Amino acid sequence: MSISTSRRDQQPVFVLHTYPFKETSLVVELFSRDHGRIAAVAKGARRPRSVMRGMLQSFQPLLGTWSGKNELRNLHSLEWGEGLLLLQGQALMCGFYMNELLLRLLPREDAHETLFDYYAQTLRQLGQIEHNPITLRRFELAMLQEMGYAVPLTHDEDGRAVEAERAYFYIPERGACVVQAKTAQQSGVQLAGKTLLDMARDDYADVQTQQQSKQLMRVLLGHYLGEKPLHTRQLLMDLQQL
Amino acid sequence: MRNPPALEQLVEALRCLPGVGPKSALRMAYHLLQRDRKGASHLALSLNRALEVVSHCNLCNNFSEQPTCPLCASEKRDASQLCVVEMPTDLMMLEQTQAYQGMYFVLMGRLSPLDGVGPREIHLDKLVKRALDGVVQEVILATNYTVEGEATAHYVSELLKARGLKVSRIARGLPMGGEIEHVDSGTLAQAMMERRNVK
Ligand SMILES: [Zn+2]
Repeated sequence: MSISTSRRDQQPVFVLHTYPFKETSLVVELFSRDHGRIAAVAKGARRPRSVMRGMLQSFQPLLGTWSGKNELRNLHSLEWGEGLLLLQGQALMCGFYMNELLLRLLPREDAHETLFDYYAQTLRQLGQIEHNPITLRRFELAMLQEMGYAVPLTHDEDGRAVEAERAYFYIPERGACVVQAKTAQQSGVQLAGKTLLDMARDDYADVQTQQQSKQLMRVLLGHYLGEKPLHTRQLLMDLQQL
Repeated sequence: MRNPPALEQLVEALRCLPGVGPKSALRMAYHLLQRDRKGASHLALSLNRALEVVSHCNLCNNFSEQPTCPLCASEKRDASQLCVVEMPTDLMMLEQTQAYQGMYFVLMGRLSPLDGVGPREIHLDKLVKRALDGVVQEVILATNYTVEGEATAHYVSELLKARGLKVSRIARGLPMGGEIEHVDSGTLAQAMMERRNVK
């Protein structure tokens, strides 16, 4: 008997999301370290006594075994991976936010080992400290860069070194532009050169850097996400209105 | 060959059931019309009647035929405790234990950020109003220990604590008769983290 070459054993994965499939099954969106984002069917996972049922939780390092070559793989098993993460409180919502970004922006079947490791590391940090916006800023930037979207920080659109004291207008796909009357009309965000240089150095100590990096990432993500708003962002706004 | 329009319409209608695709819907329709016409008629009547008389209890949000359900109207219950559960089945499970004598609130779901299920869909405004009736002293969160259930518990507790209520969460850990050797490592890790002092 030959073992099908399409079988993958004990792969490091995270569950990004699940949704019902047929009467008793689930489709599981997995983020795997070596094979990128894949979708697999967990057969019978909605039955009360399913072994996989309790394992299909997001934010836990798991080991997944699946097979198949179609867009929908067959998920055979999930086991606890290395180290257990316990996200609580607001950290959970940060986790959902990251998962939504990955589901929306990460193409299927595209391996991103570095991004996977960064995601795992970010989850570990979220598990240790209560909600920290800087952790999310770092993840957003690393995610865009790992996916191949250029986010130039040290040089402006004409290749000149960014100056800390100067004001810039940051436009998606173009980068930092020196503020002129005509740039102000485009969709972008105005910020200090220092913010860009701080971000390049991964230094978020300055309050202004924290605020402006948040605006910058929102504009950039909005550009790549398109019209459809993020569910997680909407939910947080709805909660604040109660 | 096409089916008669009324049959097609029935098949289409059956597909509103969760997990029922075109094939299962067709099978159900054939069964109802061919093998069990009496059952089919009973189903149609029951469905109509339920739609007419079943609504939500104005206090606990559970299904009820009266504006206030019998459990909420009962004078034997402890009105100082309010237990929040996701679904009516969770309420029934807790009632079976006979370990709890307080009141309930049924969310009819859980916060599910990636599916767009937010505070409105799970009636958090109604829950806040219910919990602030002046009689409730403690709110017990009995949502599931899934990531969605945990997120729901977190935000409900933030809402209610900010309004001065005492909030608790049902405990988790080893099951009754649980042997450490056979318990999954997630449960075991949590049991270790949430260990308690021995009195
Ligand atoms: Zn009631």
